[in-house]
Amino acid sequence: MAKIDEVRSKVETGKTKLVPGLVQEALDEGSKPADILGAMVGAMSVVGDKFSSGEIFVPEMLIAAKAMAKGVEVLKPYLSGETSVSLGTCVIGTVHGDLHDIGKNLVAMMIESAGFTMVDLGVDVPAEKFIQAIKENENVKLVACSGLLTTTMPAMKDTVEKLKGSGLAGFKVMVGGAPVTQAYAIEIGADAYAPDAGSAAVRAKGLVAAA
Amino acid sequence: MLTAKQNLLETIRGGNPDRFVNQYEFLELIVFMPGFKYPLQPGVTVKDDWGITFTFPEGQIGGFPLHDDEHKVLKDISQWEDVVKPPVLDTSDEAWAPAMEIANSVNRDDKFVTACQMPGVFEMTHHMMGMEDALMALYEEPDCMHGLIERVTDFELKRAAMIVDRIQPNALFHHDDWGGQISTFISPNMFKEFFLASYKKIYKFWKDNGVELIIHHSDSYAATLVPFMIEMGIDIWQGAMTTNNIPRLIEKYGSQISFMGGIDSGEVDFPKWTPEICAEHVERICRSCGKHYFIPNLTQGLNFSSFPGVYEEVSVQIDKMSKKMF
Repeated sequence: MAKIDEVRSKVETGKTKLVPGLVQEALDEGSKPADILGAMVGAMSVVGDKFSSGEIFVPEMLIAAKAMAKGVEVLKPYLSGETSVSLGTCVIGTVHGDLHDIGKNLVAMMIESAGFTMVDLGVDVPAEKFIQAIKENENVKLVACSGLLTTTMPAMKDTVEKLKGSGLAGFKVMVGGAPVTQAYAIEIGADAYAPDAGSAAVRAKGLVAAA
Repeated sequence: MLTAKQNLLETIRGGNPDRFVNQYEFLELIVFMPGFKYPLQPGVTVKDDWGITFTFPEGQIGGFPLHDDEHKVLKDISQWEDVVKPPVLDTSDEAWAPAMEIANSVNRDDKFVTACQMPGVFEMTHHMMGMEDALMALYEEPDCMHGLIERVTDFELKRAAMIVDRIQPNALFHHDDWGGQISTFISPNMFKEFFLASYKKIYKFWKDNGVELIIHHSDSYAATLVPFMIEMGIDIWQGAMTTNNIPRLIEKYGSQISFMGGIDSGEVDFPKWTPEICAEHVERICRSCGKHYFIPNLTQGLNFSSFPGVYEEVSVQIDKMSKKMF
């Protein structure tokens, strides 16, 4: 098996201790850094699909994302000279009044693994802070809003409305979280809804590709 | 008319209940005992006996453990033996007097004197180090996690012995959330590897010491863990959300375990709640689950709602369904 295929396989199975060495070996073997990164992104895509289908669980997804992050650390010096491989910047946060961060963190991890540059605003984020982040960061293609409580769904609606009414352009808005549904996403004017972290990464790529 | 206790037993034994068990009516819950510290009101921050800091921010419906660098108890799982020190519980008569007073006031023919244990073993692991660290440690440092889980379990057993000595409970209400809305946090295999043995030990101890009824709270999806719930000795799973397909669970496991919930708090218990919404959810779940092995109940743990009036309205609607169906 070529080293790049081993990288893909070990990221998928979350071998955090093996991936950095394998990435180096793949480089030594002559694989292009961008191809190695692509292999890891592909592995995380498989992980996301398996999570969405219930085949794997949160620990498996976390450990795979960690394995990829360790691989990317090795790759970074080699990627800096190449054309940017980022799909764009994604601003993410849990909406105002809501302090839940686990789901948001998982989504951030998976979207990052799909190739986006992440700006994580944390929890309890007012709409104005999302807007400010779009202005302050380059190439923002996606804003992801998370909310776990039925009580903070109005804050999600307010955030989407303010983002859409901000006069800023070039980005899509995706929403998710336990009480959020596709119907609610449409009702509040969001561009996309994702029911889980794996789907969020797929939707994120789809939104950017369609733009 | 059967007493609340008799009616509960008829319901979970597949006998002849004369009405729906109405939420927590059969339990006299005793929450406040040494070893329990948690912020119960907005604006309050509490550090528990393990050093875990919980805060209940204004405008929220519950408390959260803090896991920033300043507050995280266990920053490196490999250091657990040195860092995680089981607390020494207060054994004074004064500390136990309120719980004993409640226990002594209960007519045990009518209700179960119920000890509450919260948080549970799984929750303790992520309260100490954050969910992401705890879940990854199950893969990266399994021996450390087994050791940590054993330490938490031993402490629970020590506290259980003190509770048995002081209030002689008839039931246990044990809190440990094992999943989110649509999935368990960890796979059934991983649950079996890390948590099943601990819970078998814990629940056996309670049952060996006079507890007739084990009620486990997990307001989540956990249908795939039901066989383990049965194996560890749970009599009632409280918090069963609709995503579990409760009617199917009753059909498959009803003679071995009962299900309490089916009224998802998130769908009913919110600022703009109405009696009509409560009625709709209560009727749907009562009709779909039936009279045996099921207790209609808001999925939230403990006998209250986040927004005033919801719990009471759900109780009213359950009584109405009893009149229609019994």
